Amino acid sequence: MSAGTPKSLASSGQKPIQEICHPLGAEDTASVLTPSPDVGNTITSIGGKDLSLPNGTPVETSSPASSSSLLNRLQLDDDLDGETRDLFVTVEDPKKHVSTMETYITYMVATKTTRVEFDLPEYSVRRRYQDFDWLRTKLEDTQPTHLIPPLPEKFVMKGVVDRFSEEFVETRRKALDKFLKRVADHPVLSFNEHFNAFLSAKDLNKRQGLALLSKMGESVKYVTGGYKLRGRPVEFSAMGDYLDMFTQKLGTIDRIAQRIIKEQSEYQVELREYGPVYTTWALSEAELQGPLEGVASCMANCSSALDELTQDMSEDFLPVLREYVLYIESMKIVLKKRDNIQAEYEAKLEAAAFRKEDRASCTQVPTDVEKCHDRVECCNADLKSDWDRWQNNKRQDFRQLLTGMADHNIQYYEKCLAAWESVIPLLRDKQPQETETEED
Amino acid sequence: GNCSNSMVEEGSTLLRRMEISVAEAEKRTGKNTVNMQEIFTVYLIETRPIDAITEGHNPAPDSLWRRYSEFEILRNYLLVTYPFIVVPPLPEKRAEFVWHKLSADNMDPDFVERRRVGLENFLLRVASHSVLSNDKILYHFLTEADSRIKALSATFRVKNPDKRFTEMKHYSDELQSLTSQLLRVRARVADRLYGVYKVHGNYGRVFSEWSALEKEMGDGLQSAGHHMDAYAASVDDMLEEEEHYADQLKEYLFYAEALRAVCRKHELTQYELETASSDLISKKQQREELATGMVRTFSFKGMTNKLFGQETPEQREAKLSLLEEQIVQGEETVTEKTVECEEYVKGAWVDMQRFKEQKDRDLREALIGYAVMQISMCKKGIQVWTNAKECFHKM
Repeated sequence: MSAGTPKSLASSGQKPIQEICHPLGAEDTASVLTPSPDVGNTITSIGGKDLSLPNGTPVETSSPASSSSLLNRLQLDDDLDGETRDLFVTVEDPKKHVSTMETYITYMVATKTTRVEFDLPEYSVRRRYQDFDWLRTKLEDTQPTHLIPPLPEKFVMKGVVDRFSEEFVETRRKALDKFLKRVADHPVLSFNEHFNAFLSAKDLNKRQGLALLSKMGESVKYVTGGYKLRGRPVEFSAMGDYLDMFTQKLGTIDRIAQRIIKEQSEYQVELREYGPVYTTWALSEAELQGPLEGVASCMANCSSALDELTQDMSEDFLPVLREYVLYIESMKIVLKKRDNIQAEYEAKLEAAAFRKEDRASCTQVPTDVEKCHDRVECCNADLKSDWDRWQNNKRQDFRQLLTGMADHNIQYYEKCLAAWESVIPLLRDKQPQETETEED
Repeated sequence: GNCSNSMVEEGSTLLRRMEISVAEAEKRTGKNTVNMQEIFTVYLIETRPIDAITEGHNPAPDSLWRRYSEFEILRNYLLVTYPFIVVPPLPEKRAEFVWHKLSADNMDPDFVERRRVGLENFLLRVASHSVLSNDKILYHFLTEADSRIKALSATFRVKNPDKRFTEMKHYSDELQSLTSQLLRVRARVADRLYGVYKVHGNYGRVFSEWSALEKEMGDGLQSAGHHMDAYAASVDDMLEEEEHYADQLKEYLFYAEALRAVCRKHELTQYELETASSDLISKKQQREELATGMVRTFSFKGMTNKLFGQETPEQREAKLSLLEEQIVQGEETVTEKTVECEEYVKGAWVDMQRFKEQKDRDLREALIGYAVMQISMCKKGIQVWTNAKECFHKM
């Protein structure tokens, strides 16, 4: 990639820097990307900029960036290392695209960076799941010794899950956002050329074609290597053990969370019957009518607060928990790769030792064995640093997840508290009777 | 059992002569008074003469089916006809508030079974009562499979009840039904809430186990786990406190019954007055007929007029003077009953107003208390989760 003066990439037709609007200037972004609503048919370019997607589908009208996505851009992740960040990536604005061949969702990938490896300080491209998958495969191939963050599940049962429901798309968007952020935070992966291309290139098509062919690439070889491992260093065994036990705990937490959601739903069913009885009773009463109706409406409020809590837990908590299981699986694969690299080295070393015995004079270690040794050392070092990084991220992620859970529950109770507190004055206040009674 | 000694009293009660049982219950469908399809339960009343049993035979019992409402009619008839007798009660009309596994459904087999036993108990008590057991209507109820019993409900219908009492009786029914329903649903809500809180206790355990795997995260997780345990444990006290609210509701559930009794008593006094008045009118009519020798062709309240003309003047004189006496007595009775009615209405109405004010006060207080409890529960929830959040922060 060039340094210094901004330059358009030949294939993409990028705008010169002056014409790129700041992502935070929401309206401008919208006007750049959005064709005028009056235009009847699809527009494929505005001001020379090619708006069409890699497969030729024109972009649909997109809405201005929402406030939550603005917040997303402004939010900085908690950074324990205190590194100064120079690369910010977000995934937002999912859009459905319908073509004759297929229907699919694209997401806007927005990048802000000061890195010289990038031609421009800001990028905004549309990517679909396929593209993320391509990126991950390339990363695994080109950085076999590193832990690559996982992607959300690729396949969904067509009858069971609605691939286009708001919930599903939002859950996926969050996971894809997490994926890119983890890559962007990685001191090695973030400099990967494929990552760069993913973030900046208008058209991933050509590279994708190659990617599909080489999908069964290097990484597979390392996972399924046929060498037997002699002695695994203790620290790596400990990692494996930890991952196994941690997976177990996550499974338990998942089950508990699901159970709580179920119990809350059943509680909700009863609550929905409870409130209305007060309303019915109010009809038979005179002076008590107000208080009884107050209690009924209070319960209705608590009921909707509970709905929100259950929904939040389903949408925010469970998916993240499950995605961590995938992360653990990725880590286990990296450990396995490391084992195989070590095993390969040990095998080669042994073979070399045999040959050495034959050639009495040779004292030098053959170069391919040395290469293997280097690979082992390199792999171990990468793994250790990735492990530390992963542990750190895990800590942050779970702190955030559990704090979020606590927050949701606090919000629920606060809503209920407000409802009940507001009904107390209603209960205490004796309204003057409208009909004549024998009271004073 | 039929031959419980405590039931059999002195004198020749029905129970000595006859074995009575409510043997079975079955569902039926039919159309109700507003021509809508309904499902109801009928109970099989079986009777056998005791002589036949003691003689060694084992005859098949006579049997007939009756539904709960017919038992009600019978009891109401007994109440009115024997106002000086403490008439045995019937089992509850509706399933009262239930907890946990017991169903609130009148169709629930357990409820039906308990009712069957209760109805049998009622019949045994009535049939072993020295006065009640001799009643012909009772005997008819047990032995004749027709719906003549339903006509009884018309015979003691009050013509001119005080509207306020009718409304109050209707209200007491509503109050009873509503508090009962409320108690039932509240119990289910409490049950579910219990489940929600208790499951959180599992977090306590898993966080503790997980913290053993971690280095820096361990302490935060462990403490958070303790808060989850505290959260789960807190529900016991909260639900215990809520029982107080349930008790307050229960009190008014039972109060509704007492209110209803006052209304029924009004009906009773009114009924007695109306009966005395109509008796007086018919006696006066008889006197007129006897005096003038004229025959009335209409029948009055089931009394048919006789054709006169077969009697001697002396016989007629005797009848007339008897009638005169009865009329004087009748007029005294009517006056008494009128005063009784008026005083009852006055007194009862005053107390019903007092009751109404007390009820409004008490239930308002109960609702306030309930709201306060809910507020306390919310505050505790906020506290626990805030504590847990702090622990998570330290992870």
